[in-house]
Amino acid sequence: MVSSSVCEHVLARALSRGGTFAEIFIEDSRNFSMSLRDGRIENAALSRPYGAGVRVYDGLRSIYVYTCDVSESGLLRAADRAAAAVTDTPKSVGDIKLAERANADIHPVKTPFLSVEASRRAEILRKADKAARAVSSNIVQVSAGLLSREQHVLIANSEGLYTGDTRVYTRLLCSAVASDGKENQTGMRNPGALMGFELFDSRVDPEKTGHDAAQSAVTMLTAPYCAAGEMPVVIAGGFGGVIFHEACGHALEATSVAPGMSVFAGKLGQQIAAPCVTAIDDGTMPNEWGSENIDDEGTPTTRLVLIENGILRNYMVDRLNGRKMGMAPTGSARRENYTYAPTSRMRNTFIAPGHDDEDEMIRTMGDGLYAAQMGGGSVNPATGEFNFAVQEGYLVRDGKIVSPVRGASLIGKGEQILMRIDRVGQHMTMGQGMCGSLSGSVPTNVGQPTIRVSSLTVGGK
Amino acid sequence: MELNTFISRLFSAAEAAGIAPAEAACSQSDSFRVRVRRGELEDYQVSENAGLTLRGRVNGRIGTASTQALTEESIPLLIQGVLESAALIETDEQDDILPPDDSYASVCNDSEAVTALTAEQKIALAREIDEKLRSDDPRLTPDTCAVATGEETFTLKNTLGLDLSHHSNMIYAMANVVARDGEHAATDYETRWGYGLDAIDAETLAESCKRESLMKLEAGRMKSGAYPVVIKNSAMGDLLATFCGVFSADNVQKGLSLLAGREGETIASASVTLTDDPLMPMGMASCPFDREGAATHTKHILENGVLKTLLHNRKTAKKAGCKTTGNAAGAGRVAPTNLFFKPGKLTQEELLANLGDGLFLTEVTGLHAGANPVSGDFSLLSRGYEIKGGKIVRAVEEFTVAGNFYQLLKDITDVGSDLLFETSPIGSPSVLVKSLSVAGA
Repeated sequence: MVSSSVCEHVLARALSRGGTFAEIFIEDSRNFSMSLRDGRIENAALSRPYGAGVRVYDGLRSIYVYTCDVSESGLLRAADRAAAAVTDTPKSVGDIKLAERANADIHPVKTPFLSVEASRRAEILRKADKAARAVSSNIVQVSAGLLSREQHVLIANSEGLYTGDTRVYTRLLCSAVASDGKENQTGMRNPGALMGFELFDSRVDPEKTGHDAAQSAVTMLTAPYCAAGEMPVVIAGGFGGVIFHEACGHALEATSVAPGMSVFAGKLGQQIAAPCVTAIDDGTMPNEWGSENIDDEGTPTTRLVLIENGILRNYMVDRLNGRKMGMAPTGSARRENYTYAPTSRMRNTFIAPGHDDEDEMIRTMGDGLYAAQMGGGSVNPATGEFNFAVQEGYLVRDGKIVSPVRGASLIGKGEQILMRIDRVGQHMTMGQGMCGSLSGSVPTNVGQPTIRVSSLTVGGK
Repeated sequence: MELNTFISRLFSAAEAAGIAPAEAACSQSDSFRVRVRRGELEDYQVSENAGLTLRGRVNGRIGTASTQALTEESIPLLIQGVLESAALIETDEQDDILPPDDSYASVCNDSEAVTALTAEQKIALAREIDEKLRSDDPRLTPDTCAVATGEETFTLKNTLGLDLSHHSNMIYAMANVVARDGEHAATDYETRWGYGLDAIDAETLAESCKRESLMKLEAGRMKSGAYPVVIKNSAMGDLLATFCGVFSADNVQKGLSLLAGREGETIASASVTLTDDPLMPMGMASCPFDREGAATHTKHILENGVLKTLLHNRKTAKKAGCKTTGNAAGAGRVAPTNLFFKPGKLTQEELLANLGDGLFLTEVTGLHAGANPVSGDFSLLSRGYEIKGGKIVRAVEEFTVAGNFYQLLKDITDVGSDLLFETSPIGSPSVLVKSLSVAGA
């Protein structure tokens, strides 16, 4: 993409007026998206996100300049603009000599998406659409989309690093609308992985994806509104893991810990969750949606135990916040693309399998809610307040699932919910999401076995 | 490569490949952002960016491809992308590529005052806000504040003589404060935007941030039940932004909105008028043309509760047998420009007085998850104030407010005079609503 000698030149220019560290991130990607609605291919478009970001640390200040001009003169201009903003730090970095580092590819790709002929791509969408429509005559609309991204990155820094990575993502999006003429309900399934078109050989069955999305929508169409109140809640695995992601994960990112804004700042070694909770953030899981070989600062990705039997063990740390916190980076620095400076983010984040029986959890919960499919959520890391939408919920009466309910949401505070988890099942599954934060929207997996929370506020009507 | 050179080479290559007509849409932007946290200039970011989309007709279908690299090697990539895309598309009605309209209105949403600002001036403003965020009150901690400016030039050219360009810019500032007192914590986040330093008063921004966060701090819980609610302008703007897709003819024609065939019917309370105004002077989303090059104009979507029109691009208009409303947003989609509920005469205090006993809803969060734009249902984590006899009794937190957007439109009984575009082209005044469901303690 750009030679090491050009990078050396650009890094030296970026540090010409001082600064303690400089980095170049160059991205050349191929994104392909294709969508089907009303049973016909509606859009198909190839795009080429391409650009570079130059970052300089001026003491503990981050200076970031990005441009879509990746020519040598464009990169030098970006370096000069970064250097011009340096004020605090005297020149301290010596000659920069870059050495190329190769990284082990732990996420091999078998079938590059763009090598697959168009008709086979379209076939995936048609299968999902057909299976969804077959569920019920109440299914009035199906939107199916295929997304593929092939991101080539090059990262070089003033400590001598010159390395690259290729990340290949494939994802199927399916949403179905059920209607009785007066009301609409939606259901969706969005499976994906860090792999090529082989996603559809092994992991994802487009027909099941379409069927499940439509089934959710149809189930919710006849469901009454969920009654509101405080009650025990059992949350199924897979995308149910969003609860840990929001209620706790974001507050363990150095972005909110370093400035002391997180409710979990200063609590390493302390109990922050019930003893049955062990939580892990792992970027090394082969071909998983949130995995990488290296992070966006070039640090090899890691498996990080966040919480061990309820005790807080680690934060997710990027290089700059690591300097502020006096901690080593954990391979957690990520960014949506070159238009963002990287910061600490989650990868594949999940509650580890426990010892409890899933049937027993429901049988002994009394009256409450079973959240079979979760939607998205959000959190305020400073207060810990979170909220999640329950996409498919069921009313539980006296330990038995009675009927589906719609419109439920779960709210509360992170510190409380972690302490109130009283059951953790034995089989962990994951779901795919796009997580939005300071450095943009990045692919992340959320996961957990089925868990039970002894008491949560359920919002409804 | 210079943009005009790139486009003319691209059009030649398109013609040679049998792509006719062809159209290029290009956005070129410059941005600046500085963030200050407790005296430290923490983050400084500048950029120069561009993105170009080529669309073109091949064998009756229109293909699309885009790039950020305006370089020689992008040209064959775009051409190949359009050919492949056109071969895949199966829909009959597509965004068309047409000659220019007869005339275009002129509208301005940029200012020399923004372009002329130096980095030093913007840093000084951020430092001033940070300074004013500090307080002797031990419960208050300033988090961050930021000042940003952006400039964008959007260019739309096609091989049928269309050649349009529009420049916009703005300055934006935000401040964020955390208040803590024992077990209680609350944050407040406020923004301001406009077209020069005079649009941002550091003092009022910081003071309002501090005041609001302290007011929220000692929050109780609302008892579950149905309440009449005053929805604050900023929160109502958030709801409108989330649900405005129901007025898109594209969504209606695809069964994703419940407004099919409802034009001319009363679907909202008589106090509701909703306007889409692409020609609003200094509006954030103002532009004399849409993404298809159609001339834009101002229209009421709802007028005194009656649905007057949906928003159309040429494709949806053709299908519905009407004219485009100039709301093409690219990729076949339809989107509003500057969209707002017409303000009424009542102040916020008068709205609360009319409310009597109920809830003053000031914040809704998690809209991407807790609101369903297709069904209209929402159930959202909220904050606000309990109101008795028209007066604030106490702050309330940890509750959800649930309802349905279509029903909400019917239940609006009063509209305030405090129209606000909270750093968004979608705005609203505060409104009084008959009833919403609260789930709390």
